[in-house]
Amino acid sequence: MSEQVPPTTQTEAEAAAEDADAEEVAASSAGTGAASVVTALENAGVEYLFGVQGGAIMPVYDALYDSDLNHVTMAHEQGAAHAADAYGIVSGDPGVCLATSGPGATNLVTGIADASMDSDPMVALTGQVPTDLVGNDAFQETDTTGVTDPITKTNYFASDEDTVGDVVGEAFAVADEGRQGPTLVDLPKDVTQAETDRDPGEAETSDTYNPPEEADEAAVEAAADAISAAEKPVILAGGGVIKGEATDELRAFAREYEIPVITTMPGIGAYPEDDDLSLEVAGMHGTGYANMAITHCDVLLGIGTRFDDRLTGGVDSFAPEAEVVHVDIDPAEVSKNVHADYPLIGDAGRVIDQLDDELDRRPDPSDRYAEWRDEVQAWKSEYPMDYATPDDEPLKPQFVVEVLDEATGDDTVVTTGVGQHQMWAFQFWNYTEPRTWVSSHGLGTMGYGLPAAIGARLAADDDQSVVCFEGDGSFLMTIQELSVAVRENMDITVAVLNNEYVGMVRQWQDGFFEGRRMASEYSWCPDFAKLAEAFGARGFTVADYDGVEEAVEAAVDYDGPAVIDFHIDPEENVFPMVPSSGKNGRFALQAEHLEQL
Amino acid sequence: MSGGLPGPSPNERPHPDGRRNSQGVRIDPAVEAEPEPRRAVLSATVKHEPGVLAAVSGLFSRRQFNIESLTVGPTEEENRARITLVIEEPEPGIEQAKKQLEKLIPVVSVTELETDATQRELALIKVEGDKPDQVQSVAEMYGGEAVDVSQDTVTVEITGSRQKVEAAVETFHRFEILEVVRTGTAALERGAEETR
Repeated sequence: MSEQVPPTTQTEAEAAAEDADAEEVAASSAGTGAASVVTALENAGVEYLFGVQGGAIMPVYDALYDSDLNHVTMAHEQGAAHAADAYGIVSGDPGVCLATSGPGATNLVTGIADASMDSDPMVALTGQVPTDLVGNDAFQETDTTGVTDPITKTNYFASDEDTVGDVVGEAFAVADEGRQGPTLVDLPKDVTQAETDRDPGEAETSDTYNPPEEADEAAVEAAADAISAAEKPVILAGGGVIKGEATDELRAFAREYEIPVITTMPGIGAYPEDDDLSLEVAGMHGTGYANMAITHCDVLLGIGTRFDDRLTGGVDSFAPEAEVVHVDIDPAEVSKNVHADYPLIGDAGRVIDQLDDELDRRPDPSDRYAEWRDEVQAWKSEYPMDYATPDDEPLKPQFVVEVLDEATGDDTVVTTGVGQHQMWAFQFWNYTEPRTWVSSHGLGTMGYGLPAAIGARLAADDDQSVVCFEGDGSFLMTIQELSVAVRENMDITVAVLNNEYVGMVRQWQDGFFEGRRMASEYSWCPDFAKLAEAFGARGFTVADYDGVEEAVEAAVDYDGPAVIDFHIDPEENVFPMVPSSGKNGRFALQAEHLEQL
Repeated sequence: MSGGLPGPSPNERPHPDGRRNSQGVRIDPAVEAEPEPRRAVLSATVKHEPGVLAAVSGLFSRRQFNIESLTVGPTEEENRARITLVIEEPEPGIEQAKKQLEKLIPVVSVTELETDATQRELALIKVEGDKPDQVQSVAEMYGGEAVDVSQDTVTVEITGSRQKVEAAVETFHRFEILEVVRTGTAALERGAEETR
């Protein structure tokens, strides 16, 4: 710029001024493809976008300049995707993330894959190089629709400025309807810059996309016969119950027929865990009583669950005596992993109502289940989630989780990273409401917790607390997003359960790799409290039981982001544990039990 | 390993006797049998737009369905294409492949064709050109014909069922095959029944 030669003559100066004027006009994005994209976002009721600026997406950002939409600049595109994902989980509406072409888009990929595995509603908008450069390996070009094809419900390459707004509208509708999930619209720069006078029409899904609503009547009758003939029924509520807004129907149904309820991890909050009928979570680190019940039941009513391998363990021993009734809105999930004797394809809430109507026509079976309920209650006493706090061992993470639960309201939103801390955070926190557990299940993305807390914070009510549990290894993966929480003064409490290991790996190395702790030792992590202060957040370090409550109180009271670095017992392990492909009923409660498996 | 919870050990607990097979179907362990793979012809009507073929082939590859052939082409409707897929899978896998295909947004409908559906493949076989008359008569035996003749080569076209095309290729080996190209299976239901 400094080397630019000043115009020497009057005419040149005038010409330069005219050029500047012309650029001024061109810089306004009104009546462009980009403006149409923003209009479609506004029509979809979007309030927040999470993103990072960059070359090919600049026209869209420029159109946002004139809009009332709130854009949250994230430190990294992966953070933008996780924040949008968590926003979608907590609000129920698709979260939006925005990135430029090439590395911007590929950095979103982990977050999109995460949303895909957990059926979280999300719309990703990516810039792309101008259409005439596509396929030429242009600067920051990546085949984004190609890369994201396996991890989106569907994606779009917007090639026409007149319809780009409609495409964004359709992407929203598809992400939201039926089984939720991520969609992506790739936006070439020439398309967003081109002029159009067409406003986007009403958002519609493609005419080839028609999610089912009610289940087949005959199938419902047969399933109701099976349930009413059962002696030992169990409900397995998955994330689909929450995503399908069927929590009320589930709770009423379980209580009417007094059937014990297990949830999957994404289903946490679908049923209150302090209720007598609740057995909490089954699967690899589920409760002993849930795993006993799922192993011994004779009818398993799975609702909105995909029978993931972390839930089933080895499929040969999964609910081996049970007839399976499977309610799901996605036909492809039915009999994919576990054969459904009674497939009920439809919307969770509608199908529960249908089942309820059918069961009402039959004699009330709830008394017949009484013996089974007693058996289940006995398992609760036999396999309690009681942990010891020996004086000669360092701080137990379970205690930290319980103190934070006590210190915050019932409607607190908990987000987590991935690893041991994630398991303790679901095992020892009492969840009672849907959309209060925000985690990375299917993909298992370390570093999910902090950016998710940012998205959750904006979707939650102001009076809801947001607590983020992270491990030391997991936290380090996305810690830069702390700068965003500070900039936006977000009230978030981050509890780092720091054991100086990637603890779950260390636990597996000890259990299955003869204790050879290769690359799992993390004592080299920074001082998280000091780092938090450097970002402008509050930082605390706690290494013993005495300091826990005081630090928790100070962090929760602080109106802004606070990080507590809890130095926990580095050797503590997560139990119960069903080893990979193991039998749910043979869960280990202690390390010695692993030898019996 | 430290930490742990109270409660009976795995060996002290009751365990049920039942089992499921690898497809998640409950089985009687005494008569356990894994289902045999079978050949299925799937016909999918799809939106005629870029990326659909990639989406379909990507789906089959990442879900590890065994695909024997895949053909695609326009249909009587301007904005629709038809993809014919031949797969070989055990029973639950075929159903799963259909459902996963149906789930793709640009896919309009999927059916498995009856075993008696009309199924055709095409092969172009280029052989040494020293015996053009014999080549022509063998081609005629298979209802085909020579479509290109040069100084050194004869290329014949054979159309028919997979078995017939395979038999023809086998037979032409006697003329020193230089190159072969084959299409996948195209198929339609017989009679008035529509291939939806």
